[in-house]
Formats: sequence, structure tokens, C-alpha cells
Amino acid sequence: MKTIKYLFPPLLLLAVLSCRKDVNIKPKGNYESQLFIEGILYPGEQPRIYLSLSQPFFNKEVTPQEMFARGAEVRLSDGAREELLHPDSTYDKFRCRWVPYYLGQTPAEYGKTYELRVAFLGKTYTATTTISQAKVDIEEVEYTSEFFDVYGGHDGVILRFRDAPGQNNFYRFQMDRFLDTSRHHAHILEVIQNDCTNGEKFWITDLGRTIFRDENNDGQPMEMYAEVSFEYRRGDTAYIYLQSLDETSAAFYEDIDNQLQSILNPFVEPVFLKSTIEGTLGVFGSVVRSDTVLFVYPQDNP
Amino acid sequence: MRVSLLLFILLPWAGFTQNHTISGTVTDATTGEALIGANVFVTSTKTGTTTNSYGFYSLTIPSADSLGVAFTYVGYTAQFKKVYLDQNIELSVELAPGVGLLDEVVVSGVRSDENVARPQMGVVDIPTEKIKELPAILGEVDVLKVVQLLPGVQSGNEGTTGFFVRGGNADQNLVQLDEAIVYNPNHLFGLFSTFNTRAINNVRLIKGGFPAQYGGRLSSILDISMKEGNNKRLGVEGGIGLVTSQLTAEGPIKKEKASFIVSGRRTYFDWMIKPFLTSRIRTSYSFYDLNAKVNWQIGPKDRLFLSAFNGKDDATYIEDGIEYNVRFGNTTGTLRWNHIFGQKLFLNTSFIINEYDQNISALQDNSFSEVLSGINDVNGKLEFQYYPNPDHIILFGAHYLDHTFRSSGRTEAQSGSDPSPGIDANTIPVKYFDEFALYVNDEMKLSERLSANLGLRLPGFFSDEASYYRIEPRASLKVALGPASSVKAAYTMMNQFLHLVPSSTASVPTEIWVPSTEKTRPQLSTQYSVGYFQNFRDNEYESSLEVYYKDMRNQVLFREGNQLIESLDIDSLLTYGKGWSYGAELFLRKNRGKLTGWISYTLSWTNQRFEELNFGNTFPFRYDRRHNLSVVGTYELGKRWSLSATFVFSSGNVYTVPVGRVGVFYGGSLFEGNYFVYEERNNVRMNPYHRLDLSASHKREWKLLGKPLTSEWVFSVYNTYSRLNPYFVFFEVEPATGEPKAKQVSLLPIIPSITYNFKF
Repeated sequence: MKTIKYLFPPLLLLAVLSCRKDVNIKPKGNYESQLFIEGILYPGEQPRIYLSLSQPFFNKEVTPQEMFARGAEVRLSDGAREELLHPDSTYDKFRCRWVPYYLGQTPAEYGKTYELRVAFLGKTYTATTTISQAKVDIEEVEYTSEFFDVYGGHDGVILRFRDAPGQNNFYRFQMDRFLDTSRHHAHILEVIQNDCTNGEKFWITDLGRTIFRDENNDGQPMEMYAEVSFEYRRGDTAYIYLQSLDETSAAFYEDIDNQLQSILNPFVEPVFLKSTIEGTLGVFGSVVRSDTVLFVYPQDNP
Repeated sequence: MRVSLLLFILLPWAGFTQNHTISGTVTDATTGEALIGANVFVTSTKTGTTTNSYGFYSLTIPSADSLGVAFTYVGYTAQFKKVYLDQNIELSVELAPGVGLLDEVVVSGVRSDENVARPQMGVVDIPTEKIKELPAILGEVDVLKVVQLLPGVQSGNEGTTGFFVRGGNADQNLVQLDEAIVYNPNHLFGLFSTFNTRAINNVRLIKGGFPAQYGGRLSSILDISMKEGNNKRLGVEGGIGLVTSQLTAEGPIKKEKASFIVSGRRTYFDWMIKPFLTSRIRTSYSFYDLNAKVNWQIGPKDRLFLSAFNGKDDATYIEDGIEYNVRFGNTTGTLRWNHIFGQKLFLNTSFIINEYDQNISALQDNSFSEVLSGINDVNGKLEFQYYPNPDHIILFGAHYLDHTFRSSGRTEAQSGSDPSPGIDANTIPVKYFDEFALYVNDEMKLSERLSANLGLRLPGFFSDEASYYRIEPRASLKVALGPASSVKAAYTMMNQFLHLVPSSTASVPTEIWVPSTEKTRPQLSTQYSVGYFQNFRDNEYESSLEVYYKDMRNQVLFREGNQLIESLDIDSLLTYGKGWSYGAELFLRKNRGKLTGWISYTLSWTNQRFEELNFGNTFPFRYDRRHNLSVVGTYELGKRWSLSATFVFSSGNVYTVPVGRVGVFYGGSLFEGNYFVYEERNNVRMNPYHRLDLSASHKREWKLLGKPLTSEWVFSVYNTYSRLNPYFVFFEVEPATGEPKAKQVSLLPIIPSITYNFKF
């Protein structure tokens, strides 16, 4: 699990000459928390809508439970019927914490248009999505011990597939697998003490951070190089999917990906998250998954 | 109407049979150097002119039995000549350095109020002698650091020599040395510019009311002239400083006919740091500059100049498995031929080449990355200066510029210990394109009180991808309110066919120049300015108040999240918008006496709007600084000691700070975490920048082997009270609490230095 970070050489020399001090920063005006909505519908699955409140930038980090927007009225309608979603949560055994959301009972269906309506603190926010993107299946999965992307050098997997012709497509990697605490995270998350598993394996979903567009590649064979989040040993198994996102969701996660590159780096232009929901922050969209492919790691991680 | 217009155009060309012309040059009596901008004034007719960039002047006036002509230049003893003008005469004058007075009667009529009298505004001339008197940093007084102290000019970050004029970006300044473009006038970190003060004769900054002979940039022209070399006697001067030393030799090749100057400067930071390095870490940094010039007076009407400049930076950092290299440099060469047709028409023909190369590479964890770019220009200029009568100076000419740009970048794994071969120069994509311009400019005196400077420039650009042809009208008008005061107004339109893809830092050389394309259209500015100029006490004090409004179109910035790593498809990384700037500039200068110096204050606003940035809303330009104050003073304490001080204050730069955070939760996925909520770009201002520099110099003149020798010790303190000025601010997350903390990085604390200068 290696990630190469390129430091620009003059910065290194500057670091020798420079000195640092903490400064207090006061952006203009008082910051008021905003509702953040993240709702991605998967055909065949119960809808989950994550609602949280944004925190002032310079506050300490809080848990998902503390950020959760309690008391919201969340409704999802497909035109024919409307459903009121109820608060629910899952336990994240990797981080040992509860992650709350609003859950619907009726699975989302391919081909339908959904309207999300969220009423919170006297305001109502609405957004719609249609699940119409093509399901594209994986033709081949290959292991790679080294490849390079904008984040540097990694090991991971290569997905090969043929783009669905005649439309703009946006793809993302997904890997599901069982883990135990001996498999560490690729990055700084390894410092997390996940001692809530009682030695049992737990299930994780690892979503790729890069959105692949089919620009200039309509209907052509495509390759997706994906970095994986966790360590592995030879013989470890995982279930791999190719996600097809709608354009709205793709744009939002591209912003997320771009901001990830710019965060904490003073030499990159900052990335503003553009909301797809009028009046507040967030995204409402959909993902169509490919059929699953069982993947067996051919070697230990380098 | 048409007849009047025709007469107006033809009148200056028609000439007057009863008139005669006085022409010649004004030079330094000790070195033979041309004095640029020296005043030539006929006291009886109260008409005058100034010398051009080669020290040449021409005055056509009615015949007279006896005329008094005064020649003056700041810092030189004025001269008064009586002439009988019954025919055209040539009158070349040598002025001796030092303050001397003319005859009392003549003094009252002599004009040294060029700032008030000329119709042009937004121009500041800085003779090198003035620059040398100011406080040094690490023993060096830098031309660009002095430019930063002028009204309307903002400095970049701490310690940099980058400058921003009237809200324009750094790429909108045309920096030229003997007419050759210098694309990167900084050494690494920008502590020094590439200009060696000892090799420079004159520095002229134009920031508004541009005459038509200048073009190609939106915001300013920094026109630097190299010395020509002493044509009377051989001389050597040098300086030994803490991190750099320099040596200059000049002298006649043929006395008063041909001369040379060679000047070199090198840093020895690489030698100094060696004893402190361990076997594990190897680092090195060095730069050098070389200037050379020869000139030859072929005959009374012909003169040849050949000048060259070469400067390079080389930085290396090597640690276990890591190797960084930064190399960049400028090379220029200028061949010029001056010819005088008769006495009224002066021709300058120039052939110029310039080259800029940069190569940045990094090897880390067996991964090698490299960014390489280069510029080669070849250009030719033909400029006529016609002096039909004292009321007109007409310039017209043509300029052709051929550009070759190269840029490439790559990243690849490096196996084993074999070093990467680097980018093959033959595989680098090359872009060829050309610029040209035709221009005409007339500086005219319309009445005793009214003068104007009207010009028209027709620039063009063509490449395989796109062609652009533009019209640039220029106009300046002056109304004299009295003998020592005037009001001026100017209108300027400028186009710029090159763009410097902006790096987030001002001095690290990651910027890459790109030409206009179909998508990246030429930058365009329209500037309006008005000013009031007033001198006091016979020009001992000069003052001005200028206000301006500048509109800038087709500005470029990186799209969100982008930085320049490789330059293969730069258009796709850019976003386009507009900017505008307005402000007021106050300038007060004391020219004579024991205490000399100036105070400059600028109050300005600069904003930008880009459809794809900041939700399409207006935001302040990165170097939008509300207040800028510079106080510069030099005090002669006696024959040997002089003291100088510089104080600067400016509002902090703006930058973008998130206002909130949101969480994205996906159980260990690589993008799980907190993301930033931004509401406004450039929403926070850094702490103000202020600094006091002090300097004391002790000069001694003595004899060595019977020859005069001048030695000087210069003691300077940069940032005297060690103010930690902001360089940039970044955020670090406390691991325990996840709380972001803002950290300010400062670069230069108090830096004392000592330099020994000598001249013989």
C-alpha cells in the first residue's frame, strides 16, 4: 500500500528557510450550519438518505451521530406513491461508530423518476432523479502491483469493460469484502483502533474516489485503474462491481475527488462543492451496478 | 472638417523655411554614457525637449542671432550654451556628475519639471545612482525591489521581486533589458532579480498612458537600459557581499569612439552551505548573471550597440532516494544600429534574440517526474523618431516577433539505480507563432497650456491555431495650470497575446507561458486615468495624484482543483473571466538636499469575475490590497557617511478559507472524510505586511599607486524589527480532535548584512 506524494522541490527548500506560527482566522460574518443531503438510490435496494448538519470549519471533529439532522421529514415519491422515510442507522465496525440516515422500505426501481422532499427547521428542499443509466458489465478484472494516477503510485485492480454507446456515462469502482483487524487501511485511517469487532470479520464497501467519463470513448472498450483502500494477502477474496452514475451524482463526486486533492494544499486552487439540491448542500442521484465479479488477490500487497 | 484634419496631420511635416535645427547628444562627462531623459531648454523661446534612449535630441526653432540653451539632468551639473542659430548646428554636451548651479538668471528659466511638463502620465524614471543609495537585502540593492516601492505597484509575496501594477497580474508587465524580453526576471525565491544594478544605466516604469511604441502587455512596461561602458578610461568596480559578489569592468576600446562593459555576479550559497551538510543530505543552490555590451560610434551619424545577458539558477536537493532539481535561465542578445538622417530624423534598428528555459525534476520512491519548458524569440524592430519642430515629436515604426514555445512533462517509474534519461528534447511539442505591430505616435504641443500625446498601434498575432488583429488607440492630454502644475488625462487600449498560466506562488518558477489560441483569447485592457501634478520650490519637491480605472478582459485562472503539473493540454485546465481595478495614487518626492526620497501611497480595489469560479460571483483579485504605503529616504550625513531607510506597509493578500465542513461516510472508502464548505473565494485577508529596512554606508576616496580608488562599506538591516510577514497560510488538522488549525508561514526575519564595494 504505497502512495507517492510529490513535493515540489522549491517548497522543500523554502521549508528550510521559513518559520511558522498559528494564526486566528475569522471569515466574514457568523457561520450558520446548513443541511447536507446525500441520497443515492440503487435499484433493488431500500433508499437511504444521509442528512447531516455542516459544522463551522474551525470546530473540532464530531461523530456522524452528532452531525445527524434529527427531526427532519423525509419523503420519497415515484409519482405513483410517496413514502415517509424513518431514521435508522448501521454500525460501522471499521470505525466503531454508528452512522445514522433516513431509510425507506420500498426498494428503488430502475426506470423510475423519484422526487425527494426534505422538510427541516421550517424549510423544504426538493430534488429529483431518474434511474435510467445503462448497466454495464465487467469483462475482465486484473491485479496490478503498480500504477500511477493524480494521487501518485498505487497497487490495485484493473477493470475492463465496454462503454454503453449513445449516452454520456460516468463510472465508479466498488469492491465489497470481509475484513478483520489485521488488514489495515491504506492511508492515515490505520491509526483508528477498530477494537469493536471482537475478533470477528466485518463487511466493508470500498468505493473508488475517481469518476471515469466515457468522453471520446463512446461504445469503446475502457479500462479503469482503481486503488483499493485496505491491505490484502494472497488468496483474499473480494466482490467487484462497476457503478454507473447519473450525471448529477458524477459531478458531485468529481467535486469531492477534486477537493480531496486540494484540501490542505495551499498550492492548488480550492474546489467549491456545488450542490445539486436547491437551497442547501448535497446530492440526490442514482447508481446502477454491474453484476458482481469475484476477485481473488494473486499476491500479498507490496 | 476633412481639410482641417489633413492640415493638422501634415503641418508638422511641412517644416518652416525660416527655422533651423539644433541636434546632438547629452552624455556623462566622466563615462561617456548617454543621459536618457536629459532636458534641453531654449531659455529665450521657452521651448525644449528631452533626450531619447540614446541621449539624442533635436530642436527646430526660428533662427536667431543669439540663443541660450540649457542642458540639465538630475544629479548632474547643468550647462548653459550660447549659440548663433543662422544654420543647422550640431551641439553635443557632456554633463559632469554632481550638483552644480547655473548662472542665477538661467536657473530661473531652466525646466527640470518633466513630471509636470510632459503630456504623458504614469511614468517613473529611476536612475541607477538613486537605486544604489537604498537599503540592501543580503548586500544587494535590487531594481525590482525599488520598483515595488512606486505608486500603483504592489509587491507579490514576502521576499519576492514579482510586481503587480494597477491590479494586473505579473504576466502583464513587459520586462525588457535593452529591448529584449526577460520572461522570468527572478532568481529562485525571488530574493534577487536577474538585473545586476552595476550593469544598468536607467530604469523606466510606464503604468498608464502608454505611448504607441509600447505594447504587448496590459499593465506596465519596465524598460531597463544597460550601461554602454566608459569610453574615456578603463575602470573596475565590484562588491563583496554575504551571499553574492560581483565585478564590473568597463573602458574604451577606442577612446571616445568605442567602449565595452562586462559585468558578472555569482552567489556562493552553494560553497557556504557545504560544511553544514551531512552525508545523508546534499543540497546546493547557485545563480549567476553575466552582462556584456560594446558600442561603436562609426561616424557622426551612425552608432552600433551589441549587448548580451545570460543568467542561470541551479538548485538541487538530494536525500535518501529523493532528488530534486530546478534549473532555469534567461539569455538575451541585442544588436542595434542608430542612424541620424539629417538632423531631424533618428532611426533605431534592432535585432533581438532571447531565450528562456526551465527544467524541474523530482525523483522520489523510484518515480521520476519532470517538467520542461522553453521559449525562443527572434525579433526585429524599426523605429523612426522625427523632430519637425519643438511642438512635435513623431515616432513611427514596426515590430516583428517570432516565438517558439516548447513545453513537456512526464512521470514514470524508474527501475533499479539507473538514472532516468530525462525528456528527449526532440520529442517536445513545439508551438510556433508570430506577433507584429505597426505604430505611430505624436507628442505635440497644441498651445502654451495644452499638450497631447496621440498614438495608434496595430498589433497582430498569428499561429496555426488562431489569428488576431487589433487596433489600439492611445491618447494623453496635458493642461498646464501654471509654471509648476498641470492636469493630465490618458486613455489606453492594450492587447496581450501571451498568458502566464498562473501558479499559486509568485516566485517558484512553475509558471508556464502559453500563446493565445482559439479558446484562450488575447487579453485586452482599457485604461482611463486622470492626474494632478504639482512641483514646489523650484522642483525640489514634486508631487502627483493620479486616479485610474482599468478594465481587463479574457483573464485566465486555473479551473478549481487544478495546478500545473504537466502542460500537455493547458487550455483544458483553464477558465476565463474578466477583471477590473480602480484606485488613487499619491506620490511626493524630494529631489535635492541632504535628505532625498519619496512617499508613495496607493488606495485601490481590484476584482475579478469568472463564470466557473465562486458560483459566478465577483471576488477580489489575489493581490487586491486596499492600502500600500512606501516611505523611502536617504540622508547625507557628511562627505563619507550616508543613511537610508525604507518603510513599507500594505494590506494583506486575500485567500480562500472554508467556512464549514460536511461529512461523507462510506466505511473506509478512500474518499470518506470531512469536506470543506466554501461560500466565497478570497474571503479572508492575511495579516498586513510591513517592514523597515535600514542602511548606512561609509565611502572613502583614496589613492592606490597614484590612481583614485573609491571604497565603500555598506551595513544594512532588512526587516529591522523582524516582523513575521505572511508568505502563505495553510491548514493542519490536529490528529486528536480533528480540529483544523491555520498556520502562517513567514519567510524572512531580520537579516543584517555587510557589503564592501570598490571602484577604481
